[in-house]
Amino acid sequence: MDRKTGLYIHFPFCVKKCNYCAFLSFNADESVRRDYANALMHEIELAGREFSGQISTVYFGGGTPSIMDVSLMSLIMKAIRRNFDVLPDAEITIEANPGTLGIKDRVVRAKLIAYRSMGINRLSMGVQSMDNVRLHMLGRIHTAENVVRDVNIARELGFDNINLDLIFSVPGESTEDALEDARKIIDLRPEHISCYSLQLEEGTPFYEMAEQGMISEVPDEEDRETYHRIIELLRKSGYEHYEISNFARLEEGKEHSPFRSQHNSLYWSLDNYIGLGLGASGFMDGIRYQNTDDMEEYFRNIADDQLPVMEEKINSAFDNISEAVFTGLRRKEGITYEEAKAAYLLASEQGSTASGVIAGAEDMSADELFWKVFAESREEAEEYAAQGLLVIDEEGLRLTEKGVDISNGIMSLFV
Amino acid sequence: MSYLDNIRNFSIIAHIDHGKSTLADRLIEKTGLVDKRDMKEQYLDNMDIERERGITIKLQTTRLSYKAKDGQEYILNLIDTPGHVDFNYEVSRSLAACDGAVLVVDATQGVEAQTLGNVYLALDEDLEILPVLNKMDLDSARPDDARAEIEDIIGLDASEAPEISAKTGMGIDEMLEKLVETIPAPQGDPDGRLKALIFDSYYDSYKGVVIYTRIFDGRVKKGDTIRMMNTGKNYEVTEVGYCIPGTVPADELKAGEVGYICGSIKQVADARVGDTITLASDPTDAPLKGYKKAQSMVYCGIFPAEGEKYENVKDALEKLQVNDAAFNFEPENSAALGYGFRCGFLGLLHMDVITERLAREFDLDVITTLPSVVYKVVMKDGTVLDIQNPSNLPNPVDIAHIEEPIVKADIMTPNEFVGSIMSLCQNRRGNMIHMEYLTKTRVQLHYEMPLNEVIYDFFDALKSRTRGYASLDYEFLRYQPAKLVKLDILLNRELIDALSTIVPEEEAMAKGRGICEKLKDIIPRHQFEVPIQAAIGQKIIARETVRAYRKDVLAKCYGGDVSRKKKLLEKQKAGKKRMRQFGTVTVPQEAFTEVLKLDDGR
Repeated sequence: MDRKTGLYIHFPFCVKKCNYCAFLSFNADESVRRDYANALMHEIELAGREFSGQISTVYFGGGTPSIMDVSLMSLIMKAIRRNFDVLPDAEITIEANPGTLGIKDRVVRAKLIAYRSMGINRLSMGVQSMDNVRLHMLGRIHTAENVVRDVNIARELGFDNINLDLIFSVPGESTEDALEDARKIIDLRPEHISCYSLQLEEGTPFYEMAEQGMISEVPDEEDRETYHRIIELLRKSGYEHYEISNFARLEEGKEHSPFRSQHNSLYWSLDNYIGLGLGASGFMDGIRYQNTDDMEEYFRNIADDQLPVMEEKINSAFDNISEAVFTGLRRKEGITYEEAKAAYLLASEQGSTASGVIAGAEDMSADELFWKVFAESREEAEEYAAQGLLVIDEEGLRLTEKGVDISNGIMSLFV
Repeated sequence: MSYLDNIRNFSIIAHIDHGKSTLADRLIEKTGLVDKRDMKEQYLDNMDIERERGITIKLQTTRLSYKAKDGQEYILNLIDTPGHVDFNYEVSRSLAACDGAVLVVDATQGVEAQTLGNVYLALDEDLEILPVLNKMDLDSARPDDARAEIEDIIGLDASEAPEISAKTGMGIDEMLEKLVETIPAPQGDPDGRLKALIFDSYYDSYKGVVIYTRIFDGRVKKGDTIRMMNTGKNYEVTEVGYCIPGTVPADELKAGEVGYICGSIKQVADARVGDTITLASDPTDAPLKGYKKAQSMVYCGIFPAEGEKYENVKDALEKLQVNDAAFNFEPENSAALGYGFRCGFLGLLHMDVITERLAREFDLDVITTLPSVVYKVVMKDGTVLDIQNPSNLPNPVDIAHIEEPIVKADIMTPNEFVGSIMSLCQNRRGNMIHMEYLTKTRVQLHYEMPLNEVIYDFFDALKSRTRGYASLDYEFLRYQPAKLVKLDILLNRELIDALSTIVPEEEAMAKGRGICEKLKDIIPRHQFEVPIQAAIGQKIIARETVRAYRKDVLAKCYGGDVSRKKKLLEKQKAGKKRMRQFGTVTVPQEAFTEVLKLDDGR
């Protein structure tokens, strides 16, 4: 199977931390951002030496990469092209939060023009809501008006692949409120919509507030109602529901949208991705690794010409198939037996197959191998299938829309 | 002068934690029969669980050698005793093998309920008692108070009680001198007919059962044919010797001595504690008094957990039984839990120890059901049934009445806690017989209580209400009629027999409600609503519902989330493994033991 490789670059900076966010990010001044960009370029060089394949996607994520000065972003992009073989048609995404591109139209325009000229061809905007009260509650710095303006300018400048993020089940939000948000987002006709149910993560202000009883989580029943109603609305509006929380706009008469996030799809297909920057994760030929999340240590490693990898785990054959299955099940297509078999027999960097392969695995048919590896879970999987939560056919397995609601239980059969 | 004059057979008696095992270690170290490098901490407690819990369950015995100031070399046979109320009978047999006892009293704590219980056992055996004040190295030691308590409460002269620290070794020499002086030498006729007491035994895979014995009269050597007077079985002696500790062969054992005998005996039940050994060819007239067959007081079901093999559990139980005459089991079949075993124990601690050993030594995954006592069910036709499994209770219309075991519970406590102990005991259907002031600040409460109320979490509740200061001693008293009913639990309308209990009628409602509430917290949410009901016969008396879960999904899973998400799924899977499927309802294994721990300290 043809395995792609993507490049993820992390920017751990935000103007202000949102009330629900547990990601690695913080406020930093211009000098820190500059030092970080320099270190990143050095890391790009170090990583480039170790990788000789082609790069099919680049993703600038965070945090908020759009608060980086464009001059620095441009240098970083150049470093990437100098050290990696980025395919000419590569999908290159930047997360651009409304409100961070600029206050004045002129600035927003200038920044977006710069992105275009660097070759960035996809914008992912953290809209989250189109209701200013809710945006304020979430701790966002932008307004619904900012969103409309930024999207319009991006369109004018020729961005034809835009994702808008939406969060639902914000404490106090009704299903109707959420649908109203979704409608306003659909009105902007983005090519892609990511739609997340809010999770109260430990260590966030929301979590603390919930602990103290100041806010209360939306009940599960209501959350699921909202989720399914949004799916219905988006489907009617011409969007393909291709992953648990992701939707891509369909072209007339087609079943498969050209606007699926190619980069994120790598994560759900056990493809390779190189993670660069503070705290970034990567997966390369059966090895998972994670960079240090300590800024000092990050700088120190780079200064010593060392990749700042903090943790590395060599997957066994079972790890590989297991990860392929539970990430694959997130997709509309689910996981095919063939993909699962390929993951199981995935050759490591040294060219040898991962450890723990059962004898004769290569010669087994893909479905035979699958059910041999997961023999003890088969009965339960079939029960889920009988309940209409999972489809098991000759190709493989996939969740039904109802099955998504309790997907952790189903996925846990395969770990 | 006879060889007997240079022997001293003694036990150390104490309350839990008063330092008995530490003192034994110090004695072994001082008297030099074990190399220092072989010393594990607390040598005599040789099971891991004992060392961990700081209690002695299985007896160990050891031979010490001490050169006294009078220039004589003395053989000191230290016979260790278990330190828990569950093992009172074993304690009494060990004491019967002695001529005296060292009573260890923690100088920081004073006299406790068990101290008293053990002293009475020793006095019953007519032993000389040497009181010793331990933990004198601690600043909080109050030797004068402790001495006064010994004199007031026990009536022993403690004015010359040695002050020691088993931990630091302080005062040990003085104590040994005092011991040789106070405790009398054994008596007996080495040329008389053999009369020897079994005070402990254990199974050794090479030697068979190793019997610990005290010879009262006569002598025994390899090749003799011995007879167990109570069981009537004969065995040929293959080895005799001394416990130094461990087994060191000798030519013979004779009157006054303590040692071991092996005779290719297959299980410890054939060499019961308290039985008398004599020679088959020339038996003694009468056995020693005091023999009792160990009686199980508490029962519970032990079932293989999901994925565990029945045969493995059976093998393990058999191996444990070989070494523990007080433990018994028989096959049992539960509709809910499948094939398993009904097991009998001396008490709750004994039960805990056995189940813990199953997990630890045999690496078994088992489910233990709620402990139960033995009820005497008097039927209308006059027959009496012993029922220890609530699901076997006959149809109520055929029952004339039910009797439950009552224990005599003695609780010793500082007086400030009397009020809360009294309300606890009242909640547990306790009947106060009387209360006495042992000293100005220490009180002993005498209660009669259903054993059923003691076995759940009475001890924990007592400790938590008295900040650990109260101590408990109890013994079986009698059977007494009571208004009892069987309380059933239904999950998703299916009766789960392993959760049935027998409860007093007047408490059924409250108990039923409590169990339902508890189960509601323990049982995870399913894809459907799970009703939990408590019922007496056909009548539902309490109900709770575990709401269906509708959402178990992670919204995001990108590059950095894969490892974290995988750990989460693995945890979820592992959690499920520890559960048990009942029809469509999944129940965590802890439900069976946790459910009745209804803390009434609320």
